[in-house]
Amino acid sequence: MFNFRRPFGSLAGKLIVVTGVMLFGGSLLVGLLYFKFSENIMVHSLMRHGRASADLVERAIHDGMLNARFDAMQRTLAALANSEDIRDIKVLKKDGTVVFASDPGELGNQVPVTKAFASAARGIESGPEIVAARSGEKLVTVNLPIMNERPCFNAACHVHREDENILGVLQTGFPTTAIEATRERMFQGTLFFGTIVVVLASTMLALILYHFVSKPVAELEGGMKRLARGDFETPIEIHSRDEMGLLAETFNSMAGEVKRYREHMEDWTQSLQDEVDKKTAEIVNAQEQIINAEKLASLGRMAAGVAHELNSPLTGIVTFAHLMRERTAPDKKQDIEDLDTIIEQAERCTKIIKGMLGFARKGASEATETDVNDLLRETVGMVQNQIKVQNIGIEVALGEGLPQIHIDPNQLQQVFLNLITNAVDAMGEHGRISIATRLVGATPEQNVEIEITDTGPGIYPNNLDKIFEPFFTTKPVGKGTGLGLPVSYGIVKKHDGDIVVKSKLGEGTSFFVRLPVPKPEEA
Amino acid sequence: MSATGKCILVIDDEDIVRVSCTRILTARGYEVDAAAYCADGLQMLEENTYDLVLTDFKMPHMDGIELAAHIIEKYPGIKIVLFTGYTTEETIELARKRGIHAFMEKPFTPEKLAQTVAEVLGE
Repeated sequence: MFNFRRPFGSLAGKLIVVTGVMLFGGSLLVGLLYFKFSENIMVHSLMRHGRASADLVERAIHDGMLNARFDAMQRTLAALANSEDIRDIKVLKKDGTVVFASDPGELGNQVPVTKAFASAARGIESGPEIVAARSGEKLVTVNLPIMNERPCFNAACHVHREDENILGVLQTGFPTTAIEATRERMFQGTLFFGTIVVVLASTMLALILYHFVSKPVAELEGGMKRLARGDFETPIEIHSRDEMGLLAETFNSMAGEVKRYREHMEDWTQSLQDEVDKKTAEIVNAQEQIINAEKLASLGRMAAGVAHELNSPLTGIVTFAHLMRERTAPDKKQDIEDLDTIIEQAERCTKIIKGMLGFARKGASEATETDVNDLLRETVGMVQNQIKVQNIGIEVALGEGLPQIHIDPNQLQQVFLNLITNAVDAMGEHGRISIATRLVGATPEQNVEIEITDTGPGIYPNNLDKIFEPFFTTKPVGKGTGLGLPVSYGIVKKHDGDIVVKSKLGEGTSFFVRLPVPKPEEA
Repeated sequence: MSATGKCILVIDDEDIVRVSCTRILTARGYEVDAAAYCADGLQMLEENTYDLVLTDFKMPHMDGIELAAHIIEKYPGIKIVLFTGYTTEETIELARKRGIHAFMEKPFTPEKLAQTVAEVLGE
């Protein structure tokens, strides 16, 4: 759109102004030339008119001159010069002395020898010239040479010699008012029509520019702004076959490219973000594992120290309780019962300490190539009776064709037993336990996954990250040591495996134990 | 268990362990001496003849395995039973290689101790 606020700022505005100025200048030049041309024609016509008038004057005074009737001549001149067209008539000698004049006051005066006059005095006609009359009025004068004729040098007066070619100059003065008026009219007309032409041409140009330049430019500008806002869908609607149309077409195809590029960038950014998120999660996970491992290791060291310190006093308690029981008379039933309680509780302490030591124990294990499915069948066999007693269903879905893995079967059996026992304890008197094995991941990062799922009450989300910490238990006092899962965790980690828990309150809990399949070069 | 007249030396820094062992084994007819420090134990080995030494795997100033190895080297006929508490499998393996005859997990019951001692002494 044409910018009305900054008319000279826009392309169309500039073009209109520049073209207007050029048109105005051109019109002025043409007008001036036309004016000069017309003036020339006017001067020629004036010359003709002047010459005709001068001839008239000459003929009018011809007889008078030949017959030397100078008074009559003077009167004729005065009469002629009194007309509208002729203002002043002089007959001059070649040196410029006024011999006869329509104005008697001029007689004997010396007129200035102008170029035209000098030319006429030599017998050559020249153009008119503007001179100031005695009255101050501006006159156009025509100078005509007066040729010598037979009657002139034969006349009785004998004023002129026969060998003289030029006798003098007839100077006729015309008023300039008519010419001035004509000039004025012509100038005004030229200016008026010139202005109309300029205004019309500028308006036309403005309309043309608006249609062919401003409007498409505004469309382009709108399109670019839309693009800048991120709107890639609305193309620029210019269908002309000129440069603007080409520009719009190019712009539209560029917008398409930009859109494609942006989509590509967005996809790329998204995948980069996903990758960053994934890596961040991995780092956080690894960090947590390191912290957890470190925490477990220091807890293990502490547990070992405590266990060692407790072993000797417990030995004393057990020994002396036994000794006392041996020498207690059989009829002292209450004493025997109390001593049995001491022994029982000391044994419970021993179990806790053994658990702590199991958790802390490191070092080599007796790893062999093991079929996890066989190990699980054996483990299930060990607890099957207890499971049946508690009215708990058991589903075993062992994956076929699993590769053998390099593990310590005793330690892993401890892990499976622990997980199954936990599941059974969690469900109480009814429920279902599912045990499954499968191969996960692709070589060389393949794992055998053992899933143990129960239909128990689930684990509170707040407790999920604590279950692998030593001494954390939700079992009733005396039922759990809080060491089963940490010990299992330690064993699985020692096997370069992982143990993951997923739980939903009211639905149950799944433990996934993943153990690495040996890589071909390791196998 | 019957009295056998066999002599047993207990070397342990823990009073309660020494007393427990003494009480259990004396009641089963063994002659039992006890030493709290390794140096005392070695001194007693110089002065008396023992059939079996009970000592702890971990004691201040001396490693139980080193002590046991030293005793076996010096008194070839003597049997050694090592108390273990917190021990790794490698340690047990190492002790076995050094000629230690049996291991006794702490805490132990009187029966267990008496049974192990009897087995080692070949009774």
